[in-house]
Amino acid sequence: MNKHRMNAELSSFAARLRFAASRRAQDRRFEELALELFALQFKHNSAYRKICEARGRTPKDVGHWTHIPAVPAAAFKELDLTSLSPDERTSVFYSSGTTVQKAGRHFHNAESLAVYEASAWAWFGQNIFKNPESGIQNPELLALTPPPSQAPQSSLVHMFETVRQKMDAPESAFAGKLAADGAWTLDFEATVAVLRGNSKLKTQIPKLILGIAFSFVHLLDYLAENNLQFRLPENSRVMETGGYKNRSRSLPKSELHALITERLGIAPGKIICEYGMSELSSQAYDSRSQKLEVGSQKSEARSFHFPPWARVQIISPEINHEVAEGETGLIRVFDLANIFSVAAVQTEDLGIRRADGFELVGRAQLAGPRGCSLLAA
Amino acid sequence: MNLPNYFLADLPPEAALSPAMIAEACQTLKRNRELYLANRSTQSLVNILSDISESWLEPEFPFRKFVLENAVKAGFSRATLQRGLDNFFGQLTRENFHALLAQEFGDSKRPDSMTATTTGQRQNRMAIVNAPEFQVHIAAGNIPNPVLTSIVFGLLTRSAQFVKCAGGSTFLPRLFAHSIYEADGKLGACLEIAGWRGGNAALESALFAEADCVTATGGDETLAAIRAQLPVKTRFLGHGHHVSFGFAAGEVLHGSRAKKIVAAAADDVVAWNQLGCLSPHVIYVQIGGEVSPEHFAQLLAEELERREQIEPRGELPPEHAAAIASRRAIYEIRAAHSPESTRHWCSKDSTAWTVVFEADARFQLSCLNRFIYVKGVADLKTALEGADDVRGKVSTVGIAAPEEKIQEIATQLARWGATRICPLGQMQNPPLLWRHDGRPALGDLVTWTDLEM
Repeated sequence: MNKHRMNAELSSFAARLRFAASRRAQDRRFEELALELFALQFKHNSAYRKICEARGRTPKDVGHWTHIPAVPAAAFKELDLTSLSPDERTSVFYSSGTTVQKAGRHFHNAESLAVYEASAWAWFGQNIFKNPESGIQNPELLALTPPPSQAPQSSLVHMFETVRQKMDAPESAFAGKLAADGAWTLDFEATVAVLRGNSKLKTQIPKLILGIAFSFVHLLDYLAENNLQFRLPENSRVMETGGYKNRSRSLPKSELHALITERLGIAPGKIICEYGMSELSSQAYDSRSQKLEVGSQKSEARSFHFPPWARVQIISPEINHEVAEGETGLIRVFDLANIFSVAAVQTEDLGIRRADGFELVGRAQLAGPRGCSLLAA
Repeated sequence: MNLPNYFLADLPPEAALSPAMIAEACQTLKRNRELYLANRSTQSLVNILSDISESWLEPEFPFRKFVLENAVKAGFSRATLQRGLDNFFGQLTRENFHALLAQEFGDSKRPDSMTATTTGQRQNRMAIVNAPEFQVHIAAGNIPNPVLTSIVFGLLTRSAQFVKCAGGSTFLPRLFAHSIYEADGKLGACLEIAGWRGGNAALESALFAEADCVTATGGDETLAAIRAQLPVKTRFLGHGHHVSFGFAAGEVLHGSRAKKIVAAAADDVVAWNQLGCLSPHVIYVQIGGEVSPEHFAQLLAEELERREQIEPRGELPPEHAAAIASRRAIYEIRAAHSPESTRHWCSKDSTAWTVVFEADARFQLSCLNRFIYVKGVADLKTALEGADDVRGKVSTVGIAAPEEKIQEIATQLARWGATRICPLGQMQNPPLLWRHDGRPALGDLVTWTDLEM
């Protein structure tokens, strides 16, 4: 295969998608782009092609984006799911390996990273800065992860770095660091200094705090131990992404958010959750409220939404079809920004279908002996 | 079925339990035991327990009918639950109870009076066994027969018992307890059934403060947490994580015998939907028989499909179905990329059953609910090397092998650390005399008093 030509085809797609992302184009063309990308990936990504062929689904058989074969996220652990040749792969994002298997690998080069960044920034901006419910202007950034130099293989840190650069924030915005055993921890003093703000200023600058759930637990525990409590400026925001991975005690989301409110003075409505994974190039946020009707009960709940260039289906694990509204199934993402890998990714996460979005339930338990211990005590 | 309010588990779900209620229940149990159970003869207990079991085997027995009509509450299809209960109660006969007492105590009269065995007579020794006054059982919620066995053993040894079930899984223990109460109210009054989510320190410390003996099934962490809460004098019998597997020798895999062995393997996968620790995660199949390991896997898939028609697995909560779907997806990818070493067969449009063939002998933990691995091996030694990761954690090995080789294979497995070897097809059907985790069935519960003359 002509490598130059391969790059040309995917590159042209990448350029168009970046343009679409930068203008946050509406999703009218999603269908068309999805089928075009599937044909390209089938052609240029041999590991993916083999999976499609085993399922008997080639571009000729697929007339609708929902029929595009999805690869399990776990396949990124076992196969090189990329159309980049080994010498083109300039960086790789690893999944954190939440199961017993090795970590998944998502290969990138400058071009795919540019798409990643365009996608991540556009939707981050839309949800954090432009959102009428939770918008924030010119905040001071605080990222509770190590800087990219210490975590070059984390897609999340790469995303935070993209945000930092776009916001023109200093590198010191990263308050995380690596512990001796390589685990992520926080520079608590630096973090607290940012939270305290500048005493010389009359009006404090709002804070935008980004982090993984377990980092927030580390921070909240530290604040509790030291009897510290902050009332951050009115317009401050938290962006929290789930996950504990045994790095801290794990808390139900409502409890974590209540503690954030208690210790940082940020109202629950101003805590935005992010859903993302190293195998994808776009993220979902739960910044929008949605009205729910269950029987006669009406309530409002927040649900996750991907950008217009990515779509979600909630798939019944039993029949491998989309579930009905309000039902639980496995989250499947079609991410057009995953140009050089595979756009259609079947996650192991459970979600509840909510209109064009979803509510996150959690991960399907895969590992561990159950036997007599199943549902024990 | 309208059940009277005998047990804490009969309270409406919204009724909250308090430590005071638990403490009071414990006192009542101990008092009732003193009045009604402490001086019962073992023979009368054997009689009543075998009568109750016989009733449970009768199709028209109201408790049985009710349980089977509500099988979904126990988490199983009607047919699966029926087979499980029939196997269980079928074991509880007078003959088996006497054999059990003889095995455990040397003589079935030992719980009642100072008794000498033949050897004892020569040595001028007699002995009697005493049960703990009050036993507490912390039951896991996966399958019902371990907790039902605990109740039966507790009554047989004349202990008052408090059965704490995992939250939401009181259904069968409660119905069994009611059937005891109906058959013999005094016996039923020595039994309490309650359910709450584990880790409720207030309730559990009230309960543990009263216990003479605590039995528990659960993960290592759960067991350690319970043990840490018990006073030193309290006896603790914990049954932790265990897994099981099957082994079919090549010599027996031919013609109609191979078919029977495949059917036996299917019995083990289907029984209790594979959820017990005696259920196989993997069937090792020796290479060299007329039926190859891969072909065995295919035949097993066909058999599981037939079973699904007559003994369906039933519905699963989404998270369990999702675990199966996600696991299948991994094997689908592997099968597409290396079909020579991985193949898989799945029920259509459902997660009802899955067979994964792997050439790799390394033991795999199944996600259960009728998800079985078939692995080809050159011999038993290779299988045991493959299972090294779970060595010391293996309960049962179900085997199909030439009769003349069974003892040799069993000895090899025993030296390796397996505690129960049975024919393939009987893995989830242990006899009443089974020594759980290799420990005495009743012997760990009791205390002996020796008389030297």
